[in-house]
Order: sequence, then structure tokens, then C-alpha cells
Amino acid sequence: MSKLTTVLALTFGCLLTLSAQAVEIRDHHKEVIGKDCKTCHDNGIKQFPSDQACLQCHDVDDLAEQTARSEEDKWQNPHNNLHYGKELPCQECHSEHGTKKPLCSNCHTFKYDKHKE
Amino acid sequence: MSNKDLLGRRNFIKGFGAAAGVAMAAPALAVSEKADGVKWDKEVEVLIIGSGFAGLAAAIEATRKGAKDVHIFEKMSYFGGNSAINGGLFAAPGTPMQKQEGVKDSVEIMVADQLASGRGIADEALLRHVAEHAVEALQMTLDAGSEYHPYLQQLGGHSVARTYQTTVSCGAGITQPLLHECRKLGVHTHNRSKFEGFLVGDKGEVLGVKMRDNYHFGEDQPGKVSNIRAKRGVIMATGGFAQNVDLRMAQDPTLTAEVGCTNAPGATGEGMYEMFRLGAVPVHLAHIQSGPWASPDEGGFGYVSNYSIYNFPHSVAIDRLTGKRFMNEIADRKTRADAELNCRDAKGNALPPILITSYEDSKKHPNTKKVLKYNVGWKFDSIEELAKHFDVPLAPLKQQIAEYNDYVKTQNDPQFGKNMTEAKGKYIKAPFTVVRLWPKVHYCQGGVQINTKAEVKDSFTGQAIPGLYAAGEVCGGIHGVSRLGSCSIPECMVMGMTAARSMMKA
Repeated sequence: MSKLTTVLALTFGCLLTLSAQAVEIRDHHKEVIGKDCKTCHDNGIKQFPSDQACLQCHDVDDLAEQTARSEEDKWQNPHNNLHYGKELPCQECHSEHGTKKPLCSNCHTFKYDKHKE
Repeated sequence: MSNKDLLGRRNFIKGFGAAAGVAMAAPALAVSEKADGVKWDKEVEVLIIGSGFAGLAAAIEATRKGAKDVHIFEKMSYFGGNSAINGGLFAAPGTPMQKQEGVKDSVEIMVADQLASGRGIADEALLRHVAEHAVEALQMTLDAGSEYHPYLQQLGGHSVARTYQTTVSCGAGITQPLLHECRKLGVHTHNRSKFEGFLVGDKGEVLGVKMRDNYHFGEDQPGKVSNIRAKRGVIMATGGFAQNVDLRMAQDPTLTAEVGCTNAPGATGEGMYEMFRLGAVPVHLAHIQSGPWASPDEGGFGYVSNYSIYNFPHSVAIDRLTGKRFMNEIADRKTRADAELNCRDAKGNALPPILITSYEDSKKHPNTKKVLKYNVGWKFDSIEELAKHFDVPLAPLKQQIAEYNDYVKTQNDPQFGKNMTEAKGKYIKAPFTVVRLWPKVHYCQGGVQINTKAEVKDSFTGQAIPGLYAAGEVCGGIHGVSRLGSCSIPECMVMGMTAARSMMKA
């Protein structure tokens, strides 16, 4: 590795640490992610994470199973829903550093009690 | 299009765009450019922008006609556009289900119904083209795995029952199967891809597009822009602009941000405006339709819209101030939306009217369960209870229902001239289900002018802009003043298929 790259990496690392202090992350993420912003910010620190970032650890099939609803309301499953199936990117409803309303709430009044809004 | 105009016009429009950009939420200003000297980052055979009914149908049809390298670009993070949240209602004449139910229908009757609602300014040739090919488009959805309720519905303004509806009562019952079909056929689908303008050749032909990747709608996210060459051409299937409050208020100042909207957030119209900059002819932009079946008790299209659409033929809509009917419940959309907006209290404030249906009839549609469960509709065991809940004068309401039930019996509505065929034997009686109604912005009749080959006409030359095709709600003038319900899906799909056929023949 060239000197320049090392210096850049060090500088970048410091910046990451700084910004990591400035933002909140979920408790359950602290243990696994710690302060390594790049774990999720795979497109660069100023960009939103890619839609694959969460999927490094989370499996959409498992999530769909966990949030399954009764047969009658089966299509309200956010991880396997009527409009987009299992393809809706996590960031449409989830925000790591803040809160977000689920996309469904644009049109529907049904609730997701465990979702942090 | 003549190239001598391009730069001059572009510069003029650039200035206008910059001024408009301040007011618009759109983060980047898209502008078309001459392709001369441009470095192409990528080359594709068929390039489709938008992934609703029109874009998906175009991709499937292009593949069937031999295209090997078809790409769909979608600016949102999810596929399906507004189509994925629409009502899933599909009108076609001469379908298998009409034969089964003994409904006499034809291309001519369907076109005539639409011309009436278009109030003299619809495009008869395009309506006929769509009606002639609607059954083919329906078949494409069936082949891809779409499933429909086993009954037809008669929607407002239609003289017969000719509307299929997906079993999930939503357009997703079509977009999801079509999307899967696209992938099965090897169509490349790209989400978070924002169209940023055309790249135009010396003769004014569309050679390709500028495309921003990693786009996050509504966020300032600097994705990379690449120049993509489209060998056969570009199909614009970018939808309407009902969610762009500035643009819709420019056409109709009453459509402020306070007026609800049924559309997906991405229906903001940049693709259409880019075609205008290129020289496309704007048609009927001020005709923006509101849906008379929407509810003020939920956002967007929600659950109530399809509940009302299904129930209107055998229900009464009541003005809560008078306890009386105030419209033909299956008139066309504009007639009904205008009538609902007139329902006001003594001070002139909005007083959303109510739709009363016998539970015996309403329960046949799956959405009835949903509207009751999620408190956007209510069930009452007696008319007294209902009247009290909505503060409707009881005596006139009772009298109105008795009179209406006579119309059901005689199959004749002297009050508003409602076609009572579908109401036969369906009397208004307890227990009742009730929803509140208030119109929401739903559909843009206006857009770019196209012909029956889905070619986009240039305003300066009067000729088709080479390499450019458009299909679906981004096009204007087809329906005139007011589109009939369930006529958008066949239009989107038929014109998407048509665009693909024209492109593959060109």
C-alpha cells in the first residue's frame, strides 16, 4: 500500500470516527457495527448506503417470516407486501439515524406497532 | 425536428427551467443536449423509462418481437410506478367473461362511452386503437399470471359491465406478474435510475439519454450520470404529474397541496416536460381528474376507493345537509367529483357526502372487510343509528331511500337518470355499510401528443420525432376532458405494446 493511500485511509478513518460520534445508531447495531460507518455506508460516507447494505446481515425471507400477518391481512407484511413483494428497499421505511414512517402510511391506516416512527 | 432550432430553443427553455427549478422540489435540472462528441458509457438495444403498466408491457412486447437487450429504468427505489398502487381495474370489449355473463359489447360501444365522457375533445382514433387491442393486452396479463375476480363490474360512464378487476383489487396484481415475466425474459430492470435528458443527433433524432444512478427520490444524492445510447430508440412511459403540486397548480390553481392525491410519490412529470423541451406537443394539460370514490378518512387510494367503485351501482350517495341524493352514482368521474365538491355545510365548509350500501351487497367485495376493520368505513344496524352518526336529517333520508328503492324495482331513476341494470334486486336495506366520499387528484388527461403508432409528434415539423415513443399517462388528449374508470390500464398496456411494435419495425 502506498504512503498516500495509508494517509488517506487514516484521515478517512478519523472522519468516520468523528461522524460516528455525531449520530445515533440503534442499540442492537452498536455491538455488531460499532463505529465503523463503512459497514453500512458502502457508497461513501456522504451517500446513503446501497440497498444491499442491510442485506449483509439481514435476510429478507427471515424478515418476511417474522412480520407475517394472518391470511386475511397477509399482504400487509412490509417485507412481502402486495405492491412490491419482497423487493422494497429497507430505507423506504427504516432510518438508522432517525425515524421514518412506513411507506404504507401514505395510503393506509393499519399499524406496525414495533416500527420506530 | 430541425436541428437549427434545438440550441436556441434549449437556451430559452434553460432560463425558464432555472426559474421554475427554484419552486420545484426536483434537485437537478435535466436538460437535453446534442449527442455530437458525447462519450457513450453504455449501449442498449431498447431503452424504456418507467416501470408501470406501459413500460412493462413495452418490454415484454419488444422481447417477443425479437429484441435481445431490453432495459427498463425506474427512478424510484421500487418498480411498478403508480400502476402498482392503482385499482387494478381493466376494461375491454368482447371478453370471455362478457360472453359468459351475456353482456353485449363491442369496440364501437366502448369508444362511444369514452367519447361521451371526453366531452367532444377525446382522440377517437387512439381510443379505437386501444379498444381494438385491449383483449390482447388483457391476455398478456393472464399469460404472465394475473388473476381476476370471477365477475365483471360496471363502472361510472360505461354503458355495460366490461371491467375486470384483479383478485387483489390492485394494479400490483398486474405489475408484479409483468415484472416477473420481464425478468424471466431477460429484461434488465434498473431502479434508482433518474432520467436526466435526451441526447439528440444531427437530424433531431433521439439517440440516447442521460441517466443518473443511485438516485434517492426527494433527497440530495449525487449519483453518477452516464450517457446511454439506445440503438432502436427510447420509450417514455413515465406517467402523470398528479403529485407535482406546482405543475398541477400551474394548470389548475384549485389543486393545492391541501387537495388529496391518489398517486404514488414519483408521479411528478419530469419525463413529460423533457419531451416538451425537445419539441413534443402539449395537449389538454389542464384536464386533471379527481376520483369521486376516494375517502377523506385515509390517504391516497387506500381501501375505500375500490370499495366505492364496486358499490356505486347499488348504493345511494347522500348529501348530509339535506339527507337527499345529489348525483347519479355511476355518472362519469368529473360529473360526480364536481357534485361532491358542492356538498357543503351552512357555512360553506366541506361536508363529505356519504355512500350508503346494504351490507348484504357490499360484503361481496373483499375491501368491505378492510374498510370496516381499519375504521375508514362503518356498519349500522338501523337507519336511525346511521343518521345520528353522520348528523343527517332522518325523515328526508328515510323518504329518499324509499324512493330510490322504487327506482330499483321499476329499473328507472327519474331523479338522476342512473342506469339501474346492475342495481336490479339490490334494495337499500339494513344492515348498512357507509363510507365518506371526497375527491382526490387522480389522473392527468394531458401530456404529449402521440399517434396510433405511439410516436411523439414534433411541434415544429409536425413529424414524429425519430427514435422517440411514448405510452401511458405521460401522453395527452386520448381521453379528452374526463377519462372513464378502468380505461387507463388497457391504454397503458396497448400503447406500451404498440410503442414496442413500432420501434421493432422502424
